Amino acid sequence: MATAANRAARFEQLSPGEPLVTIRDASIAYSTRGRAATLAVDSVSIDIRKGEKFVILGPSGCGKSTLLTAIGGFIPLTSGSIKIDGEPVGSPSMDRIMVFQDFGQLLPWRTVLGNVTWGIRRRFPKMSRSEAQARARECIALVGLDRQSPQYPNTLSGGQKQRCALARAFAVAPALLLMDEPFGALDAINRERMQAELNRMLMEGARGMTVIFVTHDVNEAVHLGDRIMVMSRGPGRVRALIDNPHVGSPLFHADAMPLAAELRELLKDTENTVS
Amino acid sequence: MKALAEGHNVSPEIIEKLRKPIVVAGLCLAWELVVRGMQVNPLLFPAFSDVVMHLAAGLGLGGSGELWGYIWDTLRVLLQAYAISVALAIFMTGLAVGNRWAREVLSVMTGIFQPLPSIALLPMAILWFGFSQESLIFVVVMSMLWPIASSLTVGFATVSPTLVRLGQNYELSRISLVTTVLVPSALPMMIAGLKVGWGFGWRTIVAAELVFGATGGGGGIGWFINNSRLFMNVADGFAGIMLVIIIGLATESLFIALQRLTTQRWGTETA
Repeated sequence: MATAANRAARFEQLSPGEPLVTIRDASIAYSTRGRAATLAVDSVSIDIRKGEKFVILGPSGCGKSTLLTAIGGFIPLTSGSIKIDGEPVGSPSMDRIMVFQDFGQLLPWRTVLGNVTWGIRRRFPKMSRSEAQARARECIALVGLDRQSPQYPNTLSGGQKQRCALARAFAVAPALLLMDEPFGALDAINRERMQAELNRMLMEGARGMTVIFVTHDVNEAVHLGDRIMVMSRGPGRVRALIDNPHVGSPLFHADAMPLAAELRELLKDTENTVS
Repeated sequence: MKALAEGHNVSPEIIEKLRKPIVVAGLCLAWELVVRGMQVNPLLFPAFSDVVMHLAAGLGLGGSGELWGYIWDTLRVLLQAYAISVALAIFMTGLAVGNRWAREVLSVMTGIFQPLPSIALLPMAILWFGFSQESLIFVVVMSMLWPIASSLTVGFATVSPTLVRLGQNYELSRISLVTTVLVPSALPMMIAGLKVGWGFGWRTIVAAELVFGATGGGGGIGWFINNSRLFMNVADGFAGIMLVIIIGLATESLFIALQRLTTQRWGTETA
């Protein structure tokens, strides 16, 4: 716990723009028993700056989620290194909170308030119950779930579940927020609604946090990312790294359309290289 | 038909709720009428009202209340066997989660003993332990253990990998991962297994007591039923059977209440 707090303190000292996550020649191979290993991520090198919203964009199967999972410390690298503030990534920690695509990431036996409070009490064990609940209520209000806070997850819609997962992640105040296609399983209308709100929620709930967001949705990437890394498939490599001047502009804004079209072309190319 | 229902002001929901009690009452009434009307020999098949009177007397309403003793004898053995089975099942499942060989051993053992009605082991148990409580506990454990162990294993095997990752993300230790994520996740299967296990044990112990009674051992509801036949207290025997059914239903509804409080509320029920 103490080391986590120290690490968090050191993150604060880094000035914005300095690299927080340093990835060098990272490769990840899956070995299914008896079969030759398949390379999911192939020598990716990238610096992710402190405080930025970094989007990893790619077609399905390009290893973008695998890379994110490795940044979270859930799976080991086959070769290369991922360092956070100079230290190699170890096992998963509350400094790097993952928001999954799976709606089943909430504890079904805890209410919305219970889930968020659980996260806070794990992260800040010394905080009193009432203080933790107050903090939880703030984060729940931030994602617009106030009315659902006494409900169990099974009574929530998919969008509401993802809002709750976001609130829990904000409440824990990690240095790094890892988002693995959190809206990928939502229907189109709800997805757009969440995308439109996410920038506001990140502004209010994740100020100072570095966000890495994985998606295959071009508009999501343009709307959200300070920088966009495009990955190609088979095996997953960095294809392009783009500074995005349109970050924060409304979804489908006319000015951002050329960039979106360009990204779409890049994605199509990566599709072609496979077949 | 509709007009009739409206005329009597009976809403469809009330009819829905009353359907089961009406059927039960109808069956009891049919029993009574057939036995009385056809003048069946009460030594072969007593009337419903006689059986109820004997049951009430056996439970102390204007009688000796001797049935309570038999109930306690049966439940005491059953509860002991239950505790042993649950502890063994948790131990074996714990081994199986961590080790592939242990998992295979458990799966083979479960495969062998699930289809075997454990009452078939009673003669061997009598050979090993004699006419003692240990014999009873042995066969009852053999009937409960395997369904409980196999549903526990399935429960742990089907825990969502996302929740396990969530636990890792929030830096849960191995033990707290088990208590705060794995066990509640496996609870629907656990409750189902405990319910099935209890049902198997309940059938087995009554059957085992019947055999014990026939050979002059003692105790329990099964023994009481068999004794009633020996002494031609047939109505008492029927009262014993009725009691077995009532206790079975009562424990069943206990488990249902437990499900309503937990898995139903969380929406994690499997069936």
